[in-house]
Amino acid sequence: MSKGKARVPEAGQWPDRLAIPALAAGTVLTSAAFLLAFLYAAPVNGAALDAPELVGGVMVTHQQLISQKIFYFHMPVAIVSFAALAFAAYYGIRYLSTREARFDTCSRVAMEISLLFVVFTMVTGDLWTRFEWGVWWTWEPRLTTYLILMLIVIAYFVMRNAVDDPERRAVFASVISIIALVDVPICFMITRLIPSSVHPVITREGGMAPDMALTVVVALVGMMLVAFGLYRLRFREARLEERVQALKEQLDG
Amino acid sequence: MARLTRQMRQGGGPFAPSVSKPSAFQQYKTLLAKDLRQEFRTREMLTSMGIYALLVIIVYGAALALTANGLDIMRMGGGLLWVLIVFTSLLGLGRSFAHEKEQGCMEGIMLVPLDRSVIFLAKATANILFLLAVEIIAVPLFYFFFMSGEPVAPTFPAIVAPLLLGTVGMAGIGTMLSTITMNTRAKDVMLAVLFIPLIYPLLYACVTATTVAITGTEFWIDFFVMPLVLACGYDVVMLLVCWVLYDFVVSA
Repeated sequence: MSKGKARVPEAGQWPDRLAIPALAAGTVLTSAAFLLAFLYAAPVNGAALDAPELVGGVMVTHQQLISQKIFYFHMPVAIVSFAALAFAAYYGIRYLSTREARFDTCSRVAMEISLLFVVFTMVTGDLWTRFEWGVWWTWEPRLTTYLILMLIVIAYFVMRNAVDDPERRAVFASVISIIALVDVPICFMITRLIPSSVHPVITREGGMAPDMALTVVVALVGMMLVAFGLYRLRFREARLEERVQALKEQLDG
Repeated sequence: MARLTRQMRQGGGPFAPSVSKPSAFQQYKTLLAKDLRQEFRTREMLTSMGIYALLVIIVYGAALALTANGLDIMRMGGGLLWVLIVFTSLLGLGRSFAHEKEQGCMEGIMLVPLDRSVIFLAKATANILFLLAVEIIAVPLFYFFFMSGEPVAPTFPAIVAPLLLGTVGMAGIGTMLSTITMNTRAKDVMLAVLFIPLIYPLLYACVTATTVAITGTEFWIDFFVMPLVLACGYDVVMLLVCWVLYDFVVSA
């Protein structure tokens, strides 16, 4: 095991000073990506039209998919949710190897962030499903695997509420966070394994055009920063709560 | 003299009775035999799971009463069969640690200086055996009630493969989760909440393979092997993860 005492994350150090700027920068970048998606990235061709038509001064031969703009938010949000899950599992492993309660707090906060982004992914994905495929839900492989990912994350919090002993709760939560990570590669790979899936594999279809790639990168960086800022703020709050609890116990005892 | 020092290094003095530590495999056999003996004496799990499976079939009878004739039961059969297996195994897995807890058997096992993963393997094997025993009863019953009116595809016996793979994975994941939930409030609900999402990929693959085998269309083998490979991979990954993490869970 580690030599001496493991370094534990603590609130109020240098990353916390970055939290507010990161949140602000993330908001700006995400808003910029929103504008880029509509003003800069070229519209994507849908089904072919019977005859070329003049739309907004440009001749088009295909339907222009406005709903495709959701992609610029849907994919970055999903990637951030995976990243947050990876952090939750990492802190879960750290907890199991050091038994330091702080890592459990980190794992829980990362899981909360991941739940937030999983819900965003489901909402943006559902908008797409409704407007492009005409149904609210379809049992398509990636939708299904992502839905069960959401259910596992929800089950994680249900399980935390059902255990009273804090040490035992931390062990179980760490184990579930590690198991939940197993579903991430499945969810990621499923469109490659089952090619009938309606989710595109972008690398298989020749990659993205530069204007699309730029928009996606801006949105991704912005959302990563938002997630980081939220994580640090929530972590500080959790730490303050723990300290208040410890003080209360000291005063009572 | 050399022999004496060796004995002393092993922890016993020259006159201490020599106690050889049983091998991990012997410990595994003893734990498994304990579970099986308990089951043979009480017949608690098998009767409750068997009756539950029969009741689910009866509920299917009511659910399909008005549609069964006009319905392609062969295409639905695989899915219905797996629903039956999932709910029956939930019942069995919830019970599998309950009496260990009630009778204080778990404390006894934890006092023995053995590798904790041996407990996992023994318990998972016992659960696999119980589930297989229930499936041996439930699958013919299911066939008897719902499928005997239709001609059987020659590929029907191939459903054994997905059944085996699904049972192994479900018992492995379920053993791990029932160890967790035995220490939580509202055990049974917690087990279902954790179990169903975690076995879902396996369930999906097994239902696909079973349905393909039951309908037995042309080129069925292409659609049969792929889900089985996926199910096998999921089994291996999940069993390894559970095996590694079990030590932490059971000691908590």
